[in-house]
Amino acid sequence: MTLDGSYRFPAPRARVWALLMDTTAIASCVPGCEALEPLGDDRYQAKLVATVAAISGSYEGTVAMADKVEPESYRLVIEGSGKHGFVNGESRIALREDGDATVVDVTGTMDVGGTIARVGQRLIGSVSKMMLDRFFACMAGKLGS
Amino acid sequence: MSSRTFGSAIRRREDPRLLTGLGTYTDDLSLPNMAHAAMLRSPHAHATIVSLDTSKAAKAPGVLAVYTGKDTAPALKPMPCAWLLPNAGLNIAEYPLVALDTVRYVGDIVAVVVAQTPYQAYDALDLIEVKYKTLPAVVDPEKSAKGTGAPIHASVPGNQAFKWTVAGGDADAAFAAPGAVVVHDRIIQNRLIPTPMETRSALAQWTAATGELTLWNTTQNPHIVRFIGSLVMGVPEDKLRVVAPEVGGGFGAKIAQYPADFLTCFCAMKLNRPVKWTETRSENYIATTHGRDHVQDVALCGTKDGKITGVRGTVWAGMGAYLSTAAPGIPTILHGLMLCGPYLIDNVKEDVYGLYTNTTPVEAYRGAGRPEATYLLERLIDRFAHAIGKDPAEVRRINLIPKFDNGHNVATGLTYDSGNYHGALDKIMAHVDYAGLRKQQAEARAKGRYMGIGICTYVEVCGLGPSQVAGAIGFQGGLWESAIVRFHPSGKVNVFIGTKPHGQGEETTFAQIVSSELGVDVNDVKVMHGDTDKTPMGWGTYGSRTTAVGGAALAVALRKIKDKATALAAHLLEAPVEDMDYADGRFFVKGAPAKAKTIQDIALMANVAWNMPAGMEAGLEASSFYDPPNFVYPFGAHVAVVDVDPATGAIDLKRYACVDDCGPQINPMIVEGQVHGGVVQGLGQALWEEAIYADNGQLVTGTLMDYAIPRADVLPEIEVLSTVTPSPHHPLGVKGIGEAGTIVSTCTMYNAVVDALRPLGVDTVPMPMTPERVWRAVQTAKKGA
Repeated sequence: MTLDGSYRFPAPRARVWALLMDTTAIASCVPGCEALEPLGDDRYQAKLVATVAAISGSYEGTVAMADKVEPESYRLVIEGSGKHGFVNGESRIALREDGDATVVDVTGTMDVGGTIARVGQRLIGSVSKMMLDRFFACMAGKLGS
Repeated sequence: MSSRTFGSAIRRREDPRLLTGLGTYTDDLSLPNMAHAAMLRSPHAHATIVSLDTSKAAKAPGVLAVYTGKDTAPALKPMPCAWLLPNAGLNIAEYPLVALDTVRYVGDIVAVVVAQTPYQAYDALDLIEVKYKTLPAVVDPEKSAKGTGAPIHASVPGNQAFKWTVAGGDADAAFAAPGAVVVHDRIIQNRLIPTPMETRSALAQWTAATGELTLWNTTQNPHIVRFIGSLVMGVPEDKLRVVAPEVGGGFGAKIAQYPADFLTCFCAMKLNRPVKWTETRSENYIATTHGRDHVQDVALCGTKDGKITGVRGTVWAGMGAYLSTAAPGIPTILHGLMLCGPYLIDNVKEDVYGLYTNTTPVEAYRGAGRPEATYLLERLIDRFAHAIGKDPAEVRRINLIPKFDNGHNVATGLTYDSGNYHGALDKIMAHVDYAGLRKQQAEARAKGRYMGIGICTYVEVCGLGPSQVAGAIGFQGGLWESAIVRFHPSGKVNVFIGTKPHGQGEETTFAQIVSSELGVDVNDVKVMHGDTDKTPMGWGTYGSRTTAVGGAALAVALRKIKDKATALAAHLLEAPVEDMDYADGRFFVKGAPAKAKTIQDIALMANVAWNMPAGMEAGLEASSFYDPPNFVYPFGAHVAVVDVDPATGAIDLKRYACVDDCGPQINPMIVEGQVHGGVVQGLGQALWEEAIYADNGQLVTGTLMDYAIPRADVLPEIEVLSTVTPSPHHPLGVKGIGEAGTIVSTCTMYNAVVDALRPLGVDTVPMPMTPERVWRAVQTAKKGA
């Protein structure tokens, strides 16, 4: 399944890039994120609580940033699993300038399996998009602070 | 009351307990000190197991043991495939009960936990740490044949489980004949999930002191569970008892043998205490076999005046990740051999490729192979009728095999037993006023309303079957049936049968057979089944065989009883046996009915044995092992009338009427019930049901929220009629009726919907024909026009 979105930040690209690399900000903005601990080499150990359809549960896994081209783009690779299944995702995140603002384009794919795929299938796409939207809205909020 | 109950619509004696919640199913059973098992199942469709750590789970509260493939493999032989299809290059991949290093479908068992309570067992599953390395998966049989995904089994080149061919006459010549009208179709036989109300369950008790194992199991064939379980577990057959208590629906999914059942036994033996395992519904959807799943490329040829001359095709049948117990026989023997249908078709050829896919194993599902054959044939015939501009009913009439009473050979090599196909067609057409319906349709069309009429004729093969044939087609068992009839001194009767009724009502109908044959009150007969320690060997309930074969075994045993009773009555009445007469439970000297011995008198005298003829044994008991000389071939004709709204895609099923001929009916109400259930399950495939796998092998219709089964509120009154054509070889003339409805209703519904939309240029709608798909088919046709 694909997961795409574009988000506009009222800030210069370098500032947005720095924000997207700020793991403290990331950890506070990922919905349900309980921990994000660095493992080195741009890899992080993550713990997340999420609810899809009637299924809520915690997921543990790794988040890695790769192919970083500052301040233009990077790849985000997520592997997580929990008692209700697994989520593997990969997305390309590109930052482009748009006047004084910066637009972040996210194009990704997700592979979901286990109980969440069987029971929550119809909602996985919309829940994921909602989480993505919420994340970037939260990050945009950090710009002011 | 009259004892002649054969043909009476008496109420099912099963129903009071079943309808008031008093049925005892496997999961209702409890034993002292019983522990509970839960299965850890793979969330991946295809992956290697990199590491597996059960240490945390083993320490969890209440956990008694955690077993992996390393523990089970030395003790349990792999699951056997029991239908060794000959001349097909059958390539059976090893099917371990617990995955060793590779998982091949979502649901493959990776570990087993046993705990004090089921909840502790399920909780502990979450503590098992498994690292997987995923591999590409393939879920579509045709893509599997083309090499999509990673090879599923190292021992199986091209994922091909078998290639089987049926051929009769010269199909290629028929298609090449000058002037032949040829119609093609590409059919997706949607994958179905059987969905019995009772999920699967097993309870095992091991008695170490004697080496005896008892398995309570929801199964259609407890004796086969004993036979195969003995092979897998190494417990001798004489020390393995399998009991099938009440079974809440099977539909074919409870024929197969399953790893979880034998693993439950393994746990009981290891821990030396009773262990129970019961599937959850969502586990059932991935762990219990599915049905259908064909991709068919098929064609039919004929003359422009309506004579069908040939049928030809290629089928890619999805078999799932492993070959289940009877799986290879379903898309081949039970499918390909029925390609002539009830028609005079001289030339037939079909290649069937069985393909492994990264999905739940595919097995028998009500009709098993025959719906897939009837469907393709009936769809092609409607296309053909349209191509030559003839009425579909007329094309069927032209091609139906004329009435026969005792044997008709068809091009696929089968010999149908008896048939009056025109009789069924005439009866349904008269009942629905077919000409009138066509007139109504023309009027509706003139007003812009899309009314459709589907009419199909069918024949099916059931009453499986002669054991010699079973052997020749690679079925690893016999297909005879057995019965023991025991008269008690009071004249009450116990009947012990080898089959396993699980909703078909044979506790009632078999008592009716006893009543009719020997004149005892139907309420004086109790039918016992489902316990290998109490009942004689039998091969189970599937393939509409319980009455067709088991009922024949019962009739033969009853006739032995009657012979003995006649001889004893003659002795007691001091008359020669040849002077004896019998009527309605009374044995008397010809011409002297007043001085009779009733069957109850005889039962008492035989049991006390005070005055037996020289050489006659005491008791009034007989057994029989009945091996049928042929299959039986029920047939019929169904009609569906629909209104389709092209703007919304909604289908309104206005009428469903059927004529089915299963020979003489022991209990017409039960026949009607079987037809109802069958029709509705077939309509389910046509309109709602589809197991959908994502390309990564995840079953996305994993709950009853997403897998739609028929509901009573969307169905019309089903009009059930019949004709009666006895089977020439069955002692009672009866044929099977359990699957007939499913075999023909899917195509009848399909043909009705396409018939409705033909004025819009629609010539196909994928199944299930949901409103969205109907709407899309209409849009596609509009664009093409």
